[in-house]
Amino acid sequence: MVIVAVPSDGNGGLKELMNSRFGRCPSFTFVHIENNKIAKVKAISNSAVGQMGGAGIHAAQLIGDNGADAVVIGFLGPNAAQSLNALKIPIYQAPQNKSFTVKEVIELYLKEKLPLITNANVSAHQGMGRGTMR
Amino acid sequence: MVKNPKIICVTGGKGGTGKTLVAVNLATMFKNEGFKTILIDGDSENPNTYLLLGGKLGIRESVPFFKPSINENKCTKCGICADNCVPHALLHVKDSFPVPILAVCSGCKLCFKICPTVAIEPDYKTIGWVYNLNVREIELLVGELKPGEARSASIIEALIEKLEKKVQEGKEEYDVVIIDTAPGAHCDVEELIEKADYVIPVTEPTKFGLSDLVRINELISLLHKDFRVIINRSTLLGYKNQFFNEIKNLNLEILGRIPLHEEVVNSYCIGVPLMEDKKSQEEMGPAYKAFKDIYENVKKWIEI
Repeated sequence: MVIVAVPSDGNGGLKELMNSRFGRCPSFTFVHIENNKIAKVKAISNSAVGQMGGAGIHAAQLIGDNGADAVVIGFLGPNAAQSLNALKIPIYQAPQNKSFTVKEVIELYLKEKLPLITNANVSAHQGMGRGTMR
Repeated sequence: MVKNPKIICVTGGKGGTGKTLVAVNLATMFKNEGFKTILIDGDSENPNTYLLLGGKLGIRESVPFFKPSINENKCTKCGICADNCVPHALLHVKDSFPVPILAVCSGCKLCFKICPTVAIEPDYKTIGWVYNLNVREIELLVGELKPGEARSASIIEALIEKLEKKVQEGKEEYDVVIIDTAPGAHCDVEELIEKADYVIPVTEPTKFGLSDLVRINELISLLHKDFRVIINRSTLLGYKNQFFNEIKNLNLEILGRIPLHEEVVNSYCIGVPLMEDKKSQEEMGPAYKAFKDIYENVKKWIEI
């Protein structure tokens, strides 16, 4: 079994949209995958969302605490990237040209359509301010 | 009993107004009259006071900055360090060792102090240097931040510590300390103004000069320090009248005006302080005279 974490809107879940911010997304949806199929879904709210600084690190910690084996992201800052790398959690890049539901992005993951990345793709503090970036 | 030197802080908000010019020439004039003088270069991102004095940076001391190092033999993975780290510089996932994220570590050592099993060991990285040299019989302390490092306030703290040690050890009795700050009204500048008995903001008759002067005055007033202004390039035209009207309205004490004159520009270019230059002493140009007046005003003000 593999657990894939996806930053999501609202309270999370398969039908919610994926949120392109990592540290400051409203929720994380953890999708359990067995035999290349979605077996179980769990969502938590992101307690790092309103944090002054270090949201990316805190969010990485949440991802790790919930046992994720992989994470799919839209935008990722340097501290979050460093943290996920330190936890040895592989990072998959979702396409940034349109929005997806969590389910759609998981399907892309299952079809192996998402590239692996290791570095940040935005500079620090890009995700600050609620609702400015989707 | 160690004699306490008079501490003058030269600052100004705006960059390029002539803070270093004023600090170096004041130090030179004090030294020329036999006062034992320390000059501090507190612009750790662009330390170049020594250049205007014609000195060379030599031996340096490293300024260490704390970073946590996890001793995995002692760590119980309890996570107390990460839970209490304010900037979230420790990444901790249950059942694993915490990982320091140094980019956001403030160096506060809280993790080191609270770890119940003493598994966090202090490690240090060099974020800059402090130099101590003697140029033209002026004792010069210079702080330099390593390019790319962010915690310049630690360099300023190291400079202040070095100054206090120098004064306290009493090998030499110092009469005057002149501090040259970085531009701006941020914490590096604040720390140095805090140390001073007298503050001299240097400005120029431009819109920029006025705006930044107002900001630095606000900072100086917050720290309850006595201050008097020097206006450099006082002969610049264009905004001059409005500038001096504003200065009058603000009711500021003026120590003096330095005209924009060839002799100042030349001394700056060749790296010889105007007040040290034999030729300018003989010629007694308008800038030379302005500095002399300023010096007399400063001496009266600080009662030396």
